[in-house]
Amino acid sequence: MSRLLLDGWHVVLGIETHAQIKSRQKLFSSASTSLLTHPPNTTFNVVDAAFPGTLPKLNPKCLFLALRASLALNCDIQQRSSFDRKHYFYSDLPSGYQITQHYAPIATDGYLTLPTLGRKIRIKQIQLEQDTAKSIFDPQTRTSLIDLNRAGAGLLEIVTEPDLQSPDEAAEYVRALQTTLRAVGACDGNMDTGSMRCDVNVSIHRPGEPFGTRCEIKNLNSVKFMVAAINCEIARQKALLMSSRIVPQETRGFDHHRWDTYKLRSKEDAPEYRYMPDPNLGILHVSVAQIQQVMDSLPPFPDALRKRLIDTYEAFGVTQTAIDVLMGLDTGRDIGYDGEDNINLDETSYQDPDMSAVAYFENVCANKDRDPKDVINWILHSLHGQLSTNFTSKRITPYQLGELIDLVASNRVTRPSGKLLLRHMLTDPSITLETSVQQLAVNLNLIAMSSSSKDDLQSVCVRAVNALPDEVAALRAGHYNVVNKIVGWVMKETKGRADAKTVREIVLVLVKT
Amino acid sequence: MNRGVTKQLWTGLRCLYTSSTRTISSSSNQAFLDKNSSINAFVCTNDAVEYSGDHFPLGNVIIGVKDNICTSKLPTTCSSAILQGFLPPFNATVVKLLEDAGAVMLGKTNCDEFGMGSLNVHSVHGSVVNPFQHPSSTLAWENRERRSAGGSSGGSAAVVAAKICDAAIGTDTGGSIRLPAAYCGVVGLKPSYGLLSRWGVVSYADSLDCVGIIAKDISTTKRVFDVLNVHDERDPTCTNRSIRREASHAVEIQLKSWSNLKERNLHGIKIGIPEEYFPFELSGSVVKNTRSTIVSLKSLGATIVPVSLKSTSFALSAYYVIASAEASSNLARYDGIQYGLHIKPPLGADLTKTSKIYAHTRSKGFGSEVQKRILLGTYSLTADSFDNYFLQALRVRRLVRDDFDRVFRMSNVRVSNQIANADGVDVLMHPSAIRTAPLLDGEEDSSGLEAYVQDVLTVPASLAGLPAISVPITNKEDDGWPVGISIVGQWGCDDMVMKIGEVIESLNSNL
Repeated sequence: MSRLLLDGWHVVLGIETHAQIKSRQKLFSSASTSLLTHPPNTTFNVVDAAFPGTLPKLNPKCLFLALRASLALNCDIQQRSSFDRKHYFYSDLPSGYQITQHYAPIATDGYLTLPTLGRKIRIKQIQLEQDTAKSIFDPQTRTSLIDLNRAGAGLLEIVTEPDLQSPDEAAEYVRALQTTLRAVGACDGNMDTGSMRCDVNVSIHRPGEPFGTRCEIKNLNSVKFMVAAINCEIARQKALLMSSRIVPQETRGFDHHRWDTYKLRSKEDAPEYRYMPDPNLGILHVSVAQIQQVMDSLPPFPDALRKRLIDTYEAFGVTQTAIDVLMGLDTGRDIGYDGEDNINLDETSYQDPDMSAVAYFENVCANKDRDPKDVINWILHSLHGQLSTNFTSKRITPYQLGELIDLVASNRVTRPSGKLLLRHMLTDPSITLETSVQQLAVNLNLIAMSSSSKDDLQSVCVRAVNALPDEVAALRAGHYNVVNKIVGWVMKETKGRADAKTVREIVLVLVKT
Repeated sequence: MNRGVTKQLWTGLRCLYTSSTRTISSSSNQAFLDKNSSINAFVCTNDAVEYSGDHFPLGNVIIGVKDNICTSKLPTTCSSAILQGFLPPFNATVVKLLEDAGAVMLGKTNCDEFGMGSLNVHSVHGSVVNPFQHPSSTLAWENRERRSAGGSSGGSAAVVAAKICDAAIGTDTGGSIRLPAAYCGVVGLKPSYGLLSRWGVVSYADSLDCVGIIAKDISTTKRVFDVLNVHDERDPTCTNRSIRREASHAVEIQLKSWSNLKERNLHGIKIGIPEEYFPFELSGSVVKNTRSTIVSLKSLGATIVPVSLKSTSFALSAYYVIASAEASSNLARYDGIQYGLHIKPPLGADLTKTSKIYAHTRSKGFGSEVQKRILLGTYSLTADSFDNYFLQALRVRRLVRDDFDRVFRMSNVRVSNQIANADGVDVLMHPSAIRTAPLLDGEEDSSGLEAYVQDVLTVPASLAGLPAISVPITNKEDDGWPVGISIVGQWGCDDMVMKIGEVIESLNSNL
């Protein structure tokens, strides 16, 4: 693999991501997981506080989501993995050890494809582990305040091989990881709330030379800080190497006030974690059947979904941009806690609480007589435009929108009337999901005139010509654009039921004679 | 024993007996109190005892609970200063099961700190004194010879031997039930690992810790065992229902084939005598009594065969590495922050590291034996020694288990595809202790090597997770102090070891 060259240096980056598992309960205790809004020390139990006599018990939902993430990242799921205790004394660790998967992680050897560059970034391993509590040091009283809400929450540690070559690639990797984990409901991916944190290993070397000594930058909690930290670190290491000094192996932090990295500890100070297999949790067995079950339950990955939509609908004139906008409508629609489905792609069950925009679109397109390009335009421009909220299928069913599209496509309702009808359906509280759109169009007198009687339209046009003598004169004098004003008068008079093209033709004939 | 506790015991007994059909005079009440102050077995008693009624499975059964098993009504100190006064917010599953079955919990029993020790002398509550006195002694009982009750469940064995309780529960990590039972002359069962829930049992070494039962006889042991022998969701090491069924089914078939057991006909039963369990240090009286019991069993028709368990000599080292490593990990939580003892660092103390702040509490709160094992365990887990000590110990542990699987007739239901040994033995039998209870204040100090030699007899069954029961046998030799014989069975054969134990029990009553 040829590497990117930055000012004559190769940059080698590896990322370890800690992603909080989106489960209702913690990894080994039945206490609820917490949000930042929870008051301190309200979501923990005796297991999280490491009371004597308590024992851990693996939450199967966390395992399920870990398996989903592992499959989404193309990893080999290990049928036998195990848990280890990592020991250190710190106030945010009540038991004195963190349970992690040091010796035998749950999944190994995967990859994540960078969407724009198309390059595969190898995932070395994924391990399940516990989050720590939070300790906040109060410098005034010189005491540490401890909040156990986060203690024992489930984390996925996702470790890449040193495959990333630039800060931009690192940023793209993290964004793609966020999207992927969100898509399978394993993590909400929010770095600003601490749901995802990254440690980055950085080294640089001259082409043809072996990898340089790496430094690890800990706990980066935004993509912006991560890019900045990597740039600072590259500059620092470059300066050292250019002045013929060596880069000592270190763990560093990033100070976003000074916008620079700083030394946390050197390799010599690396803690002795005394890893020991956890004697309570034993071997974690995952059967082939279990893996298959998780695979069957996987929601579509964004990449695969996008590709399928393009393959299916581009031929009908649906643009990639339109598909991206459509998929974009679903970004706020995360999978629920414990991987529970909110999205339902089953085309027959639109009565489901709510559908994604993609499912809605495909549901309307299921009728092969409809033009997908037309359908997507209706959804993106009319329906979504008039829904003053996020996209929802709860206001107008795909069946109703299909009915409306059919009425317009068959010229029984003009396009402006159709839009009016749609707006009416969204605002009139008497309209239900069972209301027939065709009946509504009749009731509201919105059936196009062209399809009722052409003579009616003729007479309205005659009245228009009579009512607008100045415009008729101008038109006769050769000012063609004025015809629109006359057509507009007719459209207004017919409340949009007239077909503008037909009106135009009639008006031109009337004026000329 | 302090005055406060004595008073509590008094109230507890009063509550117990006012509603009981049993009657007891105030003079015998006083006798109980005197008894306890002489054996120092209860460290705290229940002053709100409720009598349940005979219709409960354990109605009227008076129970003591080792002080490392969580009780929400009584403090749980593990005999450690670091947990002095600690009141758990929940009951251990075994405590709940006992209460639901109508057992009357009288109080918490003394033990070695966190279960570490074999003489019950490493306790913040002081040593337990063995209640035994030879019938021929002319001394007042209070002035009897002060001998150890054994450990770590010394208090549990002593309250049963002193006839204060019908049964007591304790824990056995490397012999902590069987040894005190043998020293005190009562029955002690360490069940198969994973049968009895450990939720609420304060961990010493999770992979070895078992809740066990000490009782006056096997039928009481069995009654308590049957109540506690249920699956518990909250203990991840608790054996699942299907393996339980498989094991009990196999044992049932085997026991049915010995239908004449009741008539003390032992034909068809093969008892293995492991040669490695008769070390040089074994006292003469123990050897003689064990031999005479074996001879009696043979005369009843049992087939006695010598067997060899080659890995036994390595078992002790493996045990100490594993138990200490797990202990160093399990005891890391006692930092004085969430609960228990907290020692404020003195002015000017080094506060640069969290561990330096915790050190003050931990140095003060842990006794010397606990500190010794934490240090040993910490060392064996360091990156440099992990492979040579901990991993090596795990390998030895597997060899020990394989040794047992080879000699038993029953196959180990926890190991798949194991080929049963048709010529194998049903149970193994060996002395529970290398000697009778040692003197408490004597020269033979517990810190010496003797305590470790003793462990050779009990730790292999712990490493393999096998059921083992110590049954008292009559000591016709020298001092007449209690001697116990151990019966070890294949995993899940708890009923079998108890059945054979009953035969030995009947030998005693016949003599």
